[in-house]
Amino acid sequence: MPPRLKLLRALTPLSAPSTSISPFLLPFLHPQTQSRAASILSNLNDNASLNKRIRRGRGPSSGKGKTSGRGQKGQKARGKVPMTAYGRFNGGQTPDEVVHGTRGFVQHFSANLVPLNLDRVQDWIDQGRLDPSRPITIKELHESRCLHGIKDGVKLLARNADKLTTPITILVSRASTAAISAIESAGGTISTRYYSRTSITPILRGLIDPTTSLAASHGSLLQGPLAPSPDARKILGARDAVFPYRLPDATSRKHMEYYRDPEHRGYLAHTVARGQGPSLYFKAPGGRKKVDGKKRAAAVAKAENMLW
Amino acid sequence: MASKALSTSIRAITARTIQDGSPQMLSPVPVHIAPRDVHTTLYSFPDMEPLEYTSYPVEYLSLPLRRDILHRAVVFEGDATRQGTASTKWRGDVAGSGKKIRAQKGSGRARLGDRKSPMLRGGGVAHGPHPRDFSTELPRKIYDLAWRTALSYRYKRGEVIILRDIADLPRTDSILLKEIMETNGWGHTYGRSLFITDVRRNNLHDSMQDIGEHGKVLTKDDVDVKNLLETGRLIVENQALKNIFLEHQSDIAKPMSRLSRQASVAETAV
Repeated sequence: MPPRLKLLRALTPLSAPSTSISPFLLPFLHPQTQSRAASILSNLNDNASLNKRIRRGRGPSSGKGKTSGRGQKGQKARGKVPMTAYGRFNGGQTPDEVVHGTRGFVQHFSANLVPLNLDRVQDWIDQGRLDPSRPITIKELHESRCLHGIKDGVKLLARNADKLTTPITILVSRASTAAISAIESAGGTISTRYYSRTSITPILRGLIDPTTSLAASHGSLLQGPLAPSPDARKILGARDAVFPYRLPDATSRKHMEYYRDPEHRGYLAHTVARGQGPSLYFKAPGGRKKVDGKKRAAAVAKAENMLW
Repeated sequence: MASKALSTSIRAITARTIQDGSPQMLSPVPVHIAPRDVHTTLYSFPDMEPLEYTSYPVEYLSLPLRRDILHRAVVFEGDATRQGTASTKWRGDVAGSGKKIRAQKGSGRARLGDRKSPMLRGGGVAHGPHPRDFSTELPRKIYDLAWRTALSYRYKRGEVIILRDIADLPRTDSILLKEIMETNGWGHTYGRSLFITDVRRNNLHDSMQDIGEHGKVLTKDDVDVKNLLETGRLIVENQALKNIFLEHQSDIAKPMSRLSRQASVAETAV
């Protein structure tokens, strides 16, 4: 046998790479240090097939054309048969809600807010999908695919809040206390403002400015980058409107009180008169009792002097 | 130099959109994290000595992983590979008489027609398979994207080794090839390896015949997306890789030119 691979090994500088090689190449110089092969082939799946709707009665080539999958002749072919799958009918058994009763209820007035966590925002910034130098509104969040399916608004939450290091300017529907403090400790600003459900789609289509409404157009807390742009002001004049529709403001007491609260960084906080709270009641329900400092000190002293 | 020019133009476009700040664009990628060309090393074979650097644009060797695209490509290939030659005989195709087996009435047994009825042993097959074409369709651009996605995925995992020259042996020698595989950690223990050559390298091909448990040799024309995802690593000739890219770039707006030479920085190591 000729000295085949010994010669090769001697010539191959695998174990001692030359210093002229850049460090990023080093992994390629040691092909032996491979991770165990696990093919991705068993982990492939398609997205599209999951939401393919079968359109019934749309011609023979669809496969569900003539009888729409209902077979031939009879009650089941023609309509009105109790549906076992999603209905009260249970094949002739006593229906579930008769046996077990009904439970729970639907809260019609709850806001369906999309949660947005701070670590996701930072992740999007790191990937370059969100620009931290510009204000982040629901439009930016939607366009960068950071959020999907916004219903009533967006609530900012503080999952892994310590990951947020970039100062950002962000405007959302609501924010948790921890999220507010995390953003502000990172040097950013946050403001919350009201979005109605019907206004969200036009905002995302660019028909409504996401920041400026009548109440937020002047004298608002929105300073700096979030201040109403000159373009957005034009919507209020409506003659040379840039955006064809106006952004609605909060009209219900509950919403107005939320956005009047400076603790929420609400966009209506500037409307709160000096010495008043965000509540719109004449006397705020459950408001803090004002305890006079002197009386309190006297009470403490009295308590300390009590024998029993 | 075309790839270099291409990447420069991409950067220029990116820079322009940033300056415009046009709202139609998705938030533009800041320059400091904008993707750059992929610089990779070319090795000699079988010494595996790093010889040169070369670069490929990100659209070729650094695409994000798209499992759905890969899935569609693999299924598309699988469908096209199916022979579809299974065939059975319906009662009309089976040889035999059409004579009624027994009288309709009076025997006290079941009513029967002829012997070729699918109900009877030796009869036809009622709903059996017949030759057909299983192949499905996939848009060319998606298939091309799948090729580059698969190569990018393997490359990012450090599982693509690019050879500067041809991958061939001086003679047909399975033992030598096996030793090469073992020395480099490419063999069966390490999940096999796929050699992709530009044209058929007879010595390499024949040497691999006896040691199939350690790897596989395919020319660039015989490779599928599924092949790119199967084995532990891909060992590919640079020319083959470039030809694969040229073949699969229909979805790229400004593709690599066939005539242009690839930008390679000759930097001899050692």
